[in-house]
This record gives sequence, C-alpha cells and structure tokens, in this order.
Amino acid sequence: MYAIEVAGLAKRYGKIEALRGVDLAVPEGVVFGLVGPNGAGKTTLIKTLVGALRPSDGEVRVLGLEHLKDRSELRQCIGYMPQFPALYEDLSARDNIEFFGAPHRAPDLREKVEDVLRLTELTARAKDPVHTLSGGMKRRVSLAGALVHRPKMLFLDEPTAAVDPQLRSRLWETFRKLAKGGVTLFISTHLMDEAMLCNRVAILREGRIIASDTPRRILQKGKTRLLVGRNGEEEEKIIGGHPEDLAAALRSYSLSPEVTAVSVEADSLETVILSLIGKEVA
Amino acid sequence: MRTFVVAQRVVKQLLHNPRFLVLSIVGPLVIVYFLKVFFDTLPPTFDVARYAVPVAAFIVHFLAFLLCAIALVQERTAGTLERMFVNGFRRTEIIGGYVLGYLGLATFQAAVVLTEVIWLFELDYEAQTLATLFLVVWLLAIASVMLGIFVSTFARRESQVFPFIPLIALPSVFLSGLLVDVDLLPTWAEWLGHIFPLFYANNVIQEVIQPTGILEDVWGNLVVLAGYGVALLLLASLTLREVE
Repeated sequence: MYAIEVAGLAKRYGKIEALRGVDLAVPEGVVFGLVGPNGAGKTTLIKTLVGALRPSDGEVRVLGLEHLKDRSELRQCIGYMPQFPALYEDLSARDNIEFFGAPHRAPDLREKVEDVLRLTELTARAKDPVHTLSGGMKRRVSLAGALVHRPKMLFLDEPTAAVDPQLRSRLWETFRKLAKGGVTLFISTHLMDEAMLCNRVAILREGRIIASDTPRRILQKGKTRLLVGRNGEEEEKIIGGHPEDLAAALRSYSLSPEVTAVSVEADSLETVILSLIGKEVA
Repeated sequence: MRTFVVAQRVVKQLLHNPRFLVLSIVGPLVIVYFLKVFFDTLPPTFDVARYAVPVAAFIVHFLAFLLCAIALVQERTAGTLERMFVNGFRRTEIIGGYVLGYLGLATFQAAVVLTEVIWLFELDYEAQTLATLFLVVWLLAIASVMLGIFVSTFARRESQVFPFIPLIALPSVFLSGLLVDVDLLPTWAEWLGHIFPLFYANNVIQEVIQPTGILEDVWGNLVVLAGYGVALLLLASLTLREVE
C-alpha cells in the first residue's frame, strides 16, 4: 500500500516549469527523503501534495485520497510543517499549537498539546511568545503544530535547514520515533547526508525525479576506491559501488601472502547524489 | 465553531500587541485633535458640525480598512494562511473569524472617536441622534473591515495592498459628500460616489445632525451600508483562494 502515488505531476508558473512530470510512489510507514539542491522544486512538490497548490497536470493520491477533491478528509489525516515556521509571533508556543490543532476537533486537544510540547522539549517555554524563542525553538513549535492531531502522514519541508547539529540530531531522533509509531514521513532536504537517515530517497533536479531508491542502492551507483598494498607498493583501483564489484576485484588478487594491506574508500552518499545531479545537468 | 477559534486567535493577537492596539485607538484620537486645531483657524461662520462627524467617520473607515487588509496579507506572507487551510480551516471560517475578531476593535474605535468629536467640538445632539451616529459609524467600520478583507484577497504581499489605499480612500473623500454636497458634482461623479460606503454613511449623518432631520428619510442608506458589508463578505469568501 502506498501512502503517496504521483503520476505525471507538472506545475507551471507562467513560463517557469517548477515540476516537469514527477512520478513517485511512497510506501506507507517509511521515512521518505526528497533530496535536491535549492530551486529543484522540493517546496512546490510538497505544497502540491498537501493541497496548497493546484497541479498544472498529473494525478496525486495521498493515503488513497484525491488530494484536491477529498481535501477536507485528507486534511484530517496529514500534518504539514512549512519551510519557514509560519507561526503567530505574538502568541505563545502553546497558543500556536492549540490553534493549529483546533480544526481537527479532538476532544482531548489540551492533552495532545501537552504531549507534543513534551515530545518537542518545549514544555518549559510553552507560555513564552514565539518572538522570544530561538530559530531552532520556532522550528520545534512549527513541528509540534504539524503533529498535534497525530496525523498518519507528515510532510516536513526542510525541517533541519539552518539548525545546529545537536538540534538536527534530536529532530531526526523524533522523526524515527514517529516512524516507529507508524507515521509516514515525507521530508525534503538539501542536505545530502540526511538522505542516509531515510528508508527511501528520491532525488529531485530541476523539477524531475532523477533517482528514487533506498539510500544503500543509491550509494551503489557511486565509485569505490580500492587500495591494495603488495610487495611494499600501493596499487589503486577505481571500481563500481556494488558489493559484487568489490568481491570481483578482491578475487583478482586471490589475496596471496604478498597482499599485505587492503583499504576501501567508498563514495559518500553526498558525492554520489552530487555526481548524479551533475550527470543530469551535463 | 472554527469561526470562533479564528476570532479568538485574532483577538488574542490584538491583545498581545499593545503597541498596535494603542496606535489604532490613539492614532484616530490624535488625528481628530489635529482636525480641531485646523477648524479653529477657520472663520466663526464655518459650519463645523457639517464636517466634524463625517470626518471622524472617514478616519474610522480608513483605519479599519487599512489595519484589516494588512493583517490578512501578513497572514499570507507569513505562511500562516496556507497553514490554516492545510490544517483544515475553511475560507468562510477564516473570513468570519476575522470579521468577529475585528468587530470589537471597530466598535471601540467608533465609540471612542465619536465621543471625542462630540466633546471636542462641543456638539449638542439628542440621545437618539447620538445613537444613530454611533450606529452609522459602527456599520461603516464593519463595512470597512469587510472591504479590507476583500481587497487583501487580491494581494500577495503588503506592498500590493498600498496601491489600493489611495484608490479607495481618496476618491471617497471627494465623491461621497464628505467635502462638498454630491448634488454639486457632475452627474457621472455623483453616481460614482455611490460605490463608496462613506457616501451612505455621510447621507445619514448629514440628515440626522440637522435639527429638522428625520431618520426615516434616509434609513435606506443604513440598509445599503449593512448590505455593503454582507456583499463584501460574500465576495471575499469567493475570492480568497484556498488552493493557489
């Protein structure tokens, strides 16, 4: 069962084509990463999926529902954290979260607000107006506002952009906790290394998906540098990223006693993604 | 129900922003005082009563329109409008919430400004006349809130609201009977004046401040003023786009 099914999705702003025929299938219960450089169309894609933008072409189904036709029903099941906090600066963190949770008519809304405040470690600052909070805290308030009604599907647009490494790691911990609880997360990021933290990844470049797979399989599209020390000399070989490529290369040495050292340096996911994006540009 | 949630949030925001609140109340009071200073320079034969209440009505109209239009556009630029929609609020609920939220401010503005004008210009009206004047300024303030909401549905940024200000405020000063009787204007200008809510408010004010004025003669203007607000509310709920 897919949480998101997208076919031939296009979005045009006048002459500018922000999305050019996106096809995508996101399984339920995964952390799905949408990776791409700035301006690739990530925000446009997320806004279209949550029903804030009308596609110029193509079909979108989220949780089995048509994203525009069934939007009232859909909005009860999804949570959305925009790229910028989108909060009422004069109101407290608690007031903001409660307000964004209100349309879902939960009888225990107050309790749920306290729960997400605890989850996002904001209880101590819950009464403070948002304009007195740090940038990282505002992001957490924004996340809490998307989570308060306990959605089945969560859309997070660059949730970790411009936050310190400590907070970033805590946020990812929260995402993993949510995924364990059965929530499907669709997370956009321009930080390529974050792709490794997802179950599946799609790479978006100039409005097109250029690869969609598990991070491990994407990693295998890269290169591996094999360094073999033999008879006191070091040989370098560049091989493919598949484990089979490495096995074949090592077999060719038969690992005789004169092989004294072997080291393997695989491309990082960031390098692989950047090279894929580069190839696409070329 | 969700309309009240939006209204409650709008009121909370206003109360948490004392600077805005003070400016929107003190601002018109200071402007009315400047008006008094200006009128004091005119010859004693000048008919102060002809202008004092209509100008106060214009100030309330202008500020209520401006503040509401900007507040709603700020929702769009901050991304909270989009977030409200994605979280399940409907456009009628958002607009209704804004109307209810700003109603309190508009009522307070109307009461305070009218009280100052009556006191400062030593206008001596009967209780019934005062009640009618309050009603007309209040209805005008509500229509102005609706006008602000309606105009803001066309703007994507604050800067796009600004061109509407002179476009709506200035012609209404000249064509709604505020400065000169509309009968003196060319017929086309007189008819053009009918599109501004201030025209109907001014008609009622000019009638009831006359010692021989009869409200029944101009009650239709009050109905039009109320209808003006309702019509703009309906239009705004059509023009506010839920999906871009």
